[in-house]
Amino acid sequence: MTMTFKTSVFRYNPDNDDEPYFQEFDVEYEPGMTVLDALLFIQDKYDSSLAFRWECRGGQCGSCAVRVNKTARIACRTKVEPGAKLVLEPLEKMPVIKDLVTDISQVTYRLRRIRPYVARDKPAQHPEIIHSEQIEKLREIRKCIECSACLSNCPIVHETWDYPGPMIIRQIARLELDPRDVEDRVAMAMNEMVYTCTTCKMCEDICPKSIKIPALAVELLRAKAVEAGYPLAEGQQGFIDEINATGRSVPEKDKSLLSELPSEEFLVEKPRGRVAFFTGCLIDYRMQNTGRALIEVLNRNNIDVIVPKEQWCCASPAFRTGDLNTAHAAVERVTEIFERIMEKYNLDTVVVACAGCGKTLREDHRPLIEEKRGEPPKFKVYDLAEYLMDVIGKENIIPPKGRIDLKVTYHEPCHLGRGQGVVDQPVELLKMIPGVKYIDDPMKNRCCGAGGGVRAGQRVLSQKIANTKKEYILATGADMVTTECPFCTIQINDMMKEENMKVRYIPDLLAESYKKGDK
Amino acid sequence: MDYKTIMCDVLVVGAGGAGCRAAIEAAEHNLDVIMLSKELLGKAHTAMAEGGYNVSLGNVDPDDNPETHFKDTIVGGNYLNHQKLAEVLVNQAAQRIFDLEDMGAVFDRTPEGKIAQRPFGKQTWRRTAYASDRTGSEIMVTLTEGIRKTSVRVFDEVFATKLLVTDGTISGVCAVDLKYGDFLVFRAKSVVMATGGAGRIFKVTSNAQLDVGDGYGMAYEAGCEMIDMEMVQFHPTGMVKPESAKGRLVTEAVRGEGGILFNNKGERFMNRYYPEVMELAGRDQVARSIMTEVLEGRGSPDGGVYLSIAHLPKSIVDFRLESMVEQFEDAGVDIRNEPMQVSPTAHHFMGGIRIDEHAGTTIPGLYAAGECTGGVHGGNRLGGNALADTQVFGAISGENAAKFAKNKKHLGVNREEIVKEFERLEAMLNRKEGISPSDARSELTELMWEKVQIFRKEDDMQYAVKELRRIEEEVVPNIKVDVPVKRFNPGWHQAIEFAHMVTTARMVAEAAAMRKGSRGAHFRVDADPKDKGYYNIVIRKGKNGKMHLQKEDLRITQITPP
Repeated sequence: MTMTFKTSVFRYNPDNDDEPYFQEFDVEYEPGMTVLDALLFIQDKYDSSLAFRWECRGGQCGSCAVRVNKTARIACRTKVEPGAKLVLEPLEKMPVIKDLVTDISQVTYRLRRIRPYVARDKPAQHPEIIHSEQIEKLREIRKCIECSACLSNCPIVHETWDYPGPMIIRQIARLELDPRDVEDRVAMAMNEMVYTCTTCKMCEDICPKSIKIPALAVELLRAKAVEAGYPLAEGQQGFIDEINATGRSVPEKDKSLLSELPSEEFLVEKPRGRVAFFTGCLIDYRMQNTGRALIEVLNRNNIDVIVPKEQWCCASPAFRTGDLNTAHAAVERVTEIFERIMEKYNLDTVVVACAGCGKTLREDHRPLIEEKRGEPPKFKVYDLAEYLMDVIGKENIIPPKGRIDLKVTYHEPCHLGRGQGVVDQPVELLKMIPGVKYIDDPMKNRCCGAGGGVRAGQRVLSQKIANTKKEYILATGADMVTTECPFCTIQINDMMKEENMKVRYIPDLLAESYKKGDK
Repeated sequence: MDYKTIMCDVLVVGAGGAGCRAAIEAAEHNLDVIMLSKELLGKAHTAMAEGGYNVSLGNVDPDDNPETHFKDTIVGGNYLNHQKLAEVLVNQAAQRIFDLEDMGAVFDRTPEGKIAQRPFGKQTWRRTAYASDRTGSEIMVTLTEGIRKTSVRVFDEVFATKLLVTDGTISGVCAVDLKYGDFLVFRAKSVVMATGGAGRIFKVTSNAQLDVGDGYGMAYEAGCEMIDMEMVQFHPTGMVKPESAKGRLVTEAVRGEGGILFNNKGERFMNRYYPEVMELAGRDQVARSIMTEVLEGRGSPDGGVYLSIAHLPKSIVDFRLESMVEQFEDAGVDIRNEPMQVSPTAHHFMGGIRIDEHAGTTIPGLYAAGECTGGVHGGNRLGGNALADTQVFGAISGENAAKFAKNKKHLGVNREEIVKEFERLEAMLNRKEGISPSDARSELTELMWEKVQIFRKEDDMQYAVKELRRIEEEVVPNIKVDVPVKRFNPGWHQAIEFAHMVTTARMVAEAAAMRKGSRGAHFRVDADPKDKGYYNIVIRKGKNGKMHLQKEDLRITQITPP
């Protein structure tokens, strides 16, 4: 018997329909079937007037981008899941011509505006000598097939066309990286609002060619801007100055966690493992209780925790905003500190509870150290939830016993989910807490608007992004939103000021349940 | 009948490699240039070309030169090429690849920083320039960037349906705006056809959905001479599964980089057919070898043979065949460790609109370039020569169309003819009874795949010809679109395309029936040994409206067939 699945398709012909509607079709499943195959099936079997674009069916032309269950993808390379319902909608932000076909004039216009070709001020000599090393990054970033999918789910573009979107910023970087191009692409990037990107990496996740747009385009252009002498926004520069002066990105307010802790060592009787705790600036200076909660959770699971008294900022703010001098200095310092701790305490694992720090240690520090000395840092980095679920293992976790009778949802920090590939573990942890009724937010991985220097540098825009995010969270009907990043926590606390929504850091909630269970 | 008329000096129909290049060239002449694109700008089938661009730069093998490139092209083409056109191709390929670099193309490099070149089938030297295995995409992206620098007005998602000829000279085209369904007339002083091929008339093809032979159909109807239409290249290596990926191109670069073919017995079977060149024999030769293995029961379970690169260093595979890795990953195959299953797929039309060395057709003011033309490649096209063709003849057609348009006035147009054309298109929407475009298309593509394929024989040819004449008379005038909506209606688009597909298919089949011997891609299992095949078949629409075919002598400048 043929297996079928439901596909709900956005229909709209503005000539005849006052508003769009969804039409549901039964599609016969075939192994290896793609979203494009499903659309072609519907067109062939039910309605030949169903409008969608496609050409090459092989991920080469970039015609067939649509939103598949809310996230933009190219249809020809997105597999359908047998049994699961499929909802197909046109790309966001672009007016509908009909059904899934959108008007991309805005994109074309914005592309033209950046003079998207190699500009030369004198004729080239032939043969033109260009070495492979000169085009290594360029070659990566040039794989773009202009499918426009990344524009659809970009949280910045969602709020404003002041920002032309990942695809177009990428084109500016492509030209900046081209040794033949003579235009001032850095000035152009500034004019095209390169500092409005939160580096949430949604575009990278969506990109059918997996182009690392935040790193290879946004951060690259920002670094060039800093190098060219463009000043950072006041708030952003504040972070940098603090890091350089104190090793922390924010000034001390209350007593810091590291100064308050009685010792470097939090040892248990029968340890099953030993880790070092990289606190990051915000846990050390602003969320001391979260730091204590993390130590407690790990200790309760029979893990020795070492908290080096001397720590240094991972310099995420510097990486994100383009101050590479500050960033590179921090890389050396952090690596040195934790490699020393490794040796002193005979351990090889560093645990973080900050999504931003974890991402920076893994994605930014690691390759830099490797490039510099031929081998990466000797320690492995884990997020707390990841360490508990993947290293200790769900079956070995000491279950928290105190009931927390709440409807709880989760906000996935961009730099945890897409930055470190930690997606399911925090949710699994939440579900282990007795009384917690977990409510999934289909938009849980939408950026909160804090990252990439945007909260510090573009407060108004940052709040707009936050307000959109707030609507998604409130729509879940949960009593509490949890997350695993101090920066997200601060941002969500701000956005929820007027609301009846509790905001908690996952280690805090875990520790609370453990404590309650003791009674 | 409502329609809008849009004026320009030079009109380019088609926005792939040849069309963009023609438009860029024409725009250099201080003229108003419009380029019609059936798809969005940059999405043309050129982007799917993978392997490379042939040019005798000698960057890797210094002994290469245009003369050798010419010889390889003629021998590879089974001597059927219009040799003057092939001379132009090999002589100008270098300048045109430099143009691409000027525009911003990023080809892979040699250690000295020059354009790298790889070996391809039937070529004396390593001659094929490339950007990994997405060379077509690189060129398409470059041309898109190039177009955005020019004054060319791009009308995307506009589908030309008919050429307008006034007193024997081109005067414009009828077209449909696919987005909103409006009827448009473009009046121009000269027109360039760059409409690509027609792989989609076959059930299994590497081609994009838009490659249905619009240009062949329109040019034939307008009275152009067509040449070598029986010469259809079946690329030896298309994907076999999953079903939805069937026919997708597996680039020749896989074999160029050292990939080997073997059958279900583990034998490297090319040893039996072409031991000197093995996997790098001509595309027609490799395709027939593979089909012979399959037909004689030595194929893979899914009806193909195996192609393996598992012995190559992974770094080479990742760097030079990145799209292949991705394409097979989607199909659940890790080509770094497992063999691919491949079988032939309809890929390229060697034949098409007859042009001279100035890219002129037999209609004054009408120029043509790229796959829609015939003569450059003869009976079999070398891998890597098509991308070069688009650039060389794209530029020539653009230049000559501009020169033709200079200092001329627009010709008048026959409005009755225009209204009749739009009424024909409108009728498909209003018909109460009729045949659905998708049924009609399935019937056609299966007929072509079954009967006019790699191994041809008289019975099949006669059957196909008879069937196609019937389809032309009975199905084409009775095509009925299910939903009578003009705004972006794919059912209607398919219905309009169908007439072009049938005309194209008929030309292929009629010419194939006329050619009794084997030559190039045309292989007859019942070949008449007396028919050496050293002639071209030229097709035109006769005065009586019937398809007229005639054999003509080869156009030879340097190399006489053996």
